[in-house]
Amino acid sequence: MKKYWFIINMQIMSNLQYIFNIIFGFIGYFIMLFILFNLWQYLYSDPSELINGYSLLQMTWYVVITEILWSTLSGSKFCKKICNDVKSGNITYNINKPYSYIGYSLSTHLGDISVRLLVYTILGMLTGLLFLGSFPSLSLVSVLIVILTSIMALVIQTLFMIAIGLLSFFIEDANPFYWVYSKVILVLGTIFPIEYFPGILQTILRFSPVYVVSYGPAKLFVDFSWDAAFSIILAQIIYFVIAYLLCFAIYRKGVKRINVNGG
Amino acid sequence: MTIIEVKNLSKKFRVKVKENGLKGSLKSIFKPKYKVVEAVKNISFEVEKGEIIAFIGPNGAGKSTTIKMMTSILYPDQGSVRVLGFDPVKDRKKLSYEIGTVFGQKEQLWTHLTPYDNFKFFGAIYDIPEAACEKRIDELAMLFELDDFINTPVRNLSLGQRIRCEIVASLIHEPKVLFLDEPTIGLDPVVKENIRVLIKRMNKEFKTTIFLTSHDVGDIEKLCKRVIIINDGQIVLDDSMENLKYHYLNKKIVEAKMKEKVNLDDEDGITILKDKGYNLKIEVDTTKRSVADAIKLLNPDNIIDINISNVPLEDIIRNIYQKKD
Amino acid sequence: MLTAVNGVKNQMRVTRLSIRYAVMREMLNKFTFLSNVLFMILNNACMIVQWVVLYSINDDIGGYTFKQMLLLWGLSASIYGFAHFLFEKAFHLSDTINTGKLDAFLVQPKNVLLQTISSDTKISSLGDLLFGFIMYFIHGFTIESFLLFIFFTASGGLILTAISIILNSLSFWLNKSDMIAEVGNSLMINFSTYPDGIFKGITRILLFTLIPVGIANYIPIHVMTDFNIYLFFINIGVTLLFMLFAFLIFYQGLKKYSSSNLMSARI
Repeated sequence: MKKYWFIINMQIMSNLQYIFNIIFGFIGYFIMLFILFNLWQYLYSDPSELINGYSLLQMTWYVVITEILWSTLSGSKFCKKICNDVKSGNITYNINKPYSYIGYSLSTHLGDISVRLLVYTILGMLTGLLFLGSFPSLSLVSVLIVILTSIMALVIQTLFMIAIGLLSFFIEDANPFYWVYSKVILVLGTIFPIEYFPGILQTILRFSPVYVVSYGPAKLFVDFSWDAAFSIILAQIIYFVIAYLLCFAIYRKGVKRINVNGG
Repeated sequence: MTIIEVKNLSKKFRVKVKENGLKGSLKSIFKPKYKVVEAVKNISFEVEKGEIIAFIGPNGAGKSTTIKMMTSILYPDQGSVRVLGFDPVKDRKKLSYEIGTVFGQKEQLWTHLTPYDNFKFFGAIYDIPEAACEKRIDELAMLFELDDFINTPVRNLSLGQRIRCEIVASLIHEPKVLFLDEPTIGLDPVVKENIRVLIKRMNKEFKTTIFLTSHDVGDIEKLCKRVIIINDGQIVLDDSMENLKYHYLNKKIVEAKMKEKVNLDDEDGITILKDKGYNLKIEVDTTKRSVADAIKLLNPDNIIDINISNVPLEDIIRNIYQKKD
Repeated sequence: MLTAVNGVKNQMRVTRLSIRYAVMREMLNKFTFLSNVLFMILNNACMIVQWVVLYSINDDIGGYTFKQMLLLWGLSASIYGFAHFLFEKAFHLSDTINTGKLDAFLVQPKNVLLQTISSDTKISSLGDLLFGFIMYFIHGFTIESFLLFIFFTASGGLILTAISIILNSLSFWLNKSDMIAEVGNSLMINFSTYPDGIFKGITRILLFTLIPVGIANYIPIHVMTDFNIYLFFINIGVTLLFMLFAFLIFYQGLKKYSSSNLMSARI
């Protein structure tokens, strides 16, 4: 009996350390949200005002959600890891394993971020409440759909990270591509909803990854409608397939290249 | 002339003790417990100008701590250190112009630069005028035989070539004392030998005092006239290499290959270590019987090949430790 | 006196060499070097979109016009670039301390702090620096404001570096202080890219004291728009104060490092 108690102890200990790190990391999130809250408070002359169809309450909660997704992902570290796997040749050890490298990376990353997602969600909600005092109108179903689409958003994001990381097969350093990709997501879908952009750009954005990886879940949280829910879920499914195929194509081409050049 | 003077030197470390289990790790966050480890306990010694001295002992014996206190990286708790008359605690900067240091495991060179550029960098650190620096580099490059790779980036050099460059880098400013912390660690035997020859040559050429820590017996046997053995923070032995050999090395190993089988039994002063018919290995206690005498027992006409050697120093040191215990 | 002057000259020479060598190392691969710099410029440029959108809602945000906002963005980027290009190691100092890599610098007869912090560079920061100047030129060029921009880039960079040294030096006393340093740095960076007028009350006071973004980033924008000698000297004074404090705390820590040397081993 004692040894099991010991194992439980060890496990809790290493997790405590882990959770402590996550909570510490949350400070960065809090700072960002604090700044954005100040910004929106400044821009909204009174709380009942609507800017591009959003009230102050909705606008701030939108950012709470998108920033949770953004911070949870911690894409830069993950992308670096994939790059290193490729560069160091670790990836070749995976070629003859009975699982796909893409599936393997996707699942380890999702495992890695799951606890963070939970902690950030709880603390993020508390932060939102602290600043605003109330939630936007929610129902049980809408919350469930937000959770579902959020998880899908993270899955698709992870696949895109893998695709960018795998570019290391062909170029010296793929990290800069990640910076630009992440900035596009940040600017065009994390800080504001896409309604903030002019007509044509708005239409483009509705078909871009921004719509599925960040706008979608947050929009459903602050302004739920079944119409939007269906189109977002449909778009997510399509993007999931696209992202996976993209990874697969790059991976196949890259591995071939290694075989030809002998690594 | 005394170059290094160490008197009653002591250094304690506080080591955080972590108790096992969840309770333990929570406790250590709020009320950390410390255990005091005496890394160096009241040691004293002196080093004369031009000496090559070996400071040896097993891992964790206090070698590095002592060398760090002599090079002003660590301050002593008690006792005093004088290197070239300077107090390392007070005169860090002045002292650093006079000493060179090589830490075998910590690289000081920029790996993307060539050794030559690195040496110029060190020249700048020690305020050496350009022309003088170049002259010095030429001189050292010749002594350490660097010419083949002095313009190859350090990252492309072999470990042995790197160490040679590390040593040269630490000699650019003509230090009077050179501290070498495990200089041959991780090298293969041939390269080790090569490094030793170079160190010895350098010592002869520049009269540089060399203080060397190592746990490689070969370093000491080949390089040093004097040995200080440290164990558990205390000096176990401070003696000349010769004395060390005389007291602990009164035994010789005789290995012989024979034409015919000999039948030999242990007798006074002779111990048979190995007897495989034609190959024989015996230990001769020279206080009791001369080596010549022992060979006679083997019948010299019968010997095809013979090798007489000392007992490995490793065994001797082990012997000293055991006696102390 | 002459030896003191020589000493400073030699120190400068070594620091310059050290930085040059660090840059050379990063430039070994030309493609990586260029893509790092270019992508960092692009990366920063993306954020302009944010301000285009926000200024479409309102012409004045926190007392800044759109052009002033671009200038603030530019200055913040060039401050960051300056600090990380020259003194990258200052931002990883606690790691250097904890892994005992300080020893190598301790046996050299030069200033330990300067030697350490100038021994590494971050190449993408060159992109930040360039981006800053591009923003400046978009904002508009006059000789006076250009000189001021250069000056404030340096003073802000020194403040940023000093804060990092101060927070990282806490590792001499505490473990996990690298996390504190990280929070400190992210506070400095995040606040520096938003106009000060949106912050009120305690936050505003903090921004001009404990988190001196106000002094390093906001004051320069005010001075460059409408020169004010009084604010200008506050910027200089605070820069010197932070540098002094950084040196003091680092050397205090170094003393502690040498005299007690806490070994964190598991027994």
